[in-house]
Amino acid sequence: MGIGAFVALVGFSRSFEHEWLRLYQSSGTDIAVLQSSMFNSSIDESLGAKIKALPEVAAVAPLVFNLIDLTPDVNALVYGWPADSYEMDSLTFTSGRRFRASQPEVVLGDLLAQNLKKKAGDTLTILGETFTITGIFHGGTALETGAVIMPLDQMQNISSREGKVTAFHVRLKPVPAGETYEQYVAKVQKEIEALMPGIRAEAAAARAGNNQIVDMAHSVAWGTSSIALLIGIVGIANTMAMSVFERTREIGVLRALGWKGRHVILLILTEAGVLGLAGGLLGILVGLGALWILSIMPQTASVVSLSVSPGHIVESLLIAIGSGLVAGAYPAWRASRLSPVEALRYE
Amino acid sequence: MSSPILEGRALVKSYDDGRVAALRGVDLKIDAGEYVTISGASGSGKSTLLHMLGGLDLPSSGDVLFRGAKLGSEMDLDTFRSSQVGFIFQAFHLLPTLRAVENVQVAMLAIKGRANHRVERASALLEEMGLKDRLQHFPNELSAGERQRVAIARALANEPAILLADEPTGNLDSVNTGHIMDILRGIRESRGMTLVIVTHENDIALSAPRHIRIRDGRIEA
Repeated sequence: MGIGAFVALVGFSRSFEHEWLRLYQSSGTDIAVLQSSMFNSSIDESLGAKIKALPEVAAVAPLVFNLIDLTPDVNALVYGWPADSYEMDSLTFTSGRRFRASQPEVVLGDLLAQNLKKKAGDTLTILGETFTITGIFHGGTALETGAVIMPLDQMQNISSREGKVTAFHVRLKPVPAGETYEQYVAKVQKEIEALMPGIRAEAAAARAGNNQIVDMAHSVAWGTSSIALLIGIVGIANTMAMSVFERTREIGVLRALGWKGRHVILLILTEAGVLGLAGGLLGILVGLGALWILSIMPQTASVVSLSVSPGHIVESLLIAIGSGLVAGAYPAWRASRLSPVEALRYE
Repeated sequence: MSSPILEGRALVKSYDDGRVAALRGVDLKIDAGEYVTISGASGSGKSTLLHMLGGLDLPSSGDVLFRGAKLGSEMDLDTFRSSQVGFIFQAFHLLPTLRAVENVQVAMLAIKGRANHRVERASALLEEMGLKDRLQHFPNELSAGERQRVAIARALANEPAILLADEPTGNLDSVNTGHIMDILRGIRESRGMTLVIVTHENDIALSAPRHIRIRDGRIEA
């Protein structure tokens, strides 16, 4: 179960990070501009024009977003975008059309529309305001496919953030000859940060891994998984201790046949490692199942997808085997210290 | 005059902080190839003496020497048990989850360089014990006599110099007792091994060229 928790929780947090990265990549965003942190980021909307005026910048997309309860069962990321945002180009509409600027209109990701049982032409109430659903889109990531997008000013209005945005997404012009992409992005980051004190410009890839929500998801996942793993280790240690206890005479026979203490340790540790591996394989199946459920549940579908890397599976198996070895260490040591005569007399 | 393969010098074994004495100063020499039986009443210390001679336990005082080397100091006990001694127990002590041929191989795992041809050698030993058609049987599928023959094959797995048997016929009927004793004597003669048997059965005790009686932790004169 410890490994199951590890696969599900750490998989969840990594999937979350992965979705952020895909979100930036699919829209062609090179730099994200925020104030101090994602939770309380609030930047004056006028900064957008200054960023746009930089010679390297091709496009700037201001945005406001928040996680909002749409029904008692369903919450979703709600974005405010300008109607002409370049990020709109990454969406593929499966029905209806885009929203118009400054109108009480929204577009829904297809997964969210399915969960809410809504279609183009229906209405949706968000924070007490009623919006017409003008289109259903299919986005490239879970963060979009489970999201609501509305005109920027409408979002500012319902969240009382007039004139303010959460962040700017910046798309750069092609990299000039003689510069690497990283050098180019770093240079523009500095130029943007010089425009206004207290803001931070981050490369999109770094932003995906660094933002506080992702950090917190990682911390919670690792913390919870560690506790579950610790419980798992205690469980295996108990099983191995019982196994050694029940096989005292058997171990005595091996010692009588000349098995050295280290041979007995190797035997018990091998058993503990195999036990850990078996638990790990089972845990991975349970974890993947849990992750799959999370990826389709309305409450979580907007932030997670079932994308677990082979590296995460290998990491889980190694942790499972390692947990088995740690748990088996003490019983193995005790078994190796058994006196052959005492062990053979054991009833 | 041949030098002893096994020697016990002033062997004392006590338990419970010296309050219980199992051996009270035993001196004993056994020559290579000798066949010796040790008998005595229950609790006399005969099994304890066998454990000392086989390196299963160390004496509280005194020394056991194998070819002149002190066990536990000049010779490692595990190495001695794995390469020089084969044990046969009254309760057979086969591993219940392993087949007969695997039980024999378990002994070979204790010695480096014995990895090759383990199955062939274990099979050959079991065939020698008349168990050709029992190689793949688990202990609970074998009769008591068959189990003891598997245990004898296991004791021979590493071609030891000494065979130590603790009441090897204690759990057998008279027919199997005769069969097992014939096998043990045959092994000694064909392989030239030293054979030491602890027994409480007079017939067996008196069948050996040399018979030692233990009483209250001492060898009777």
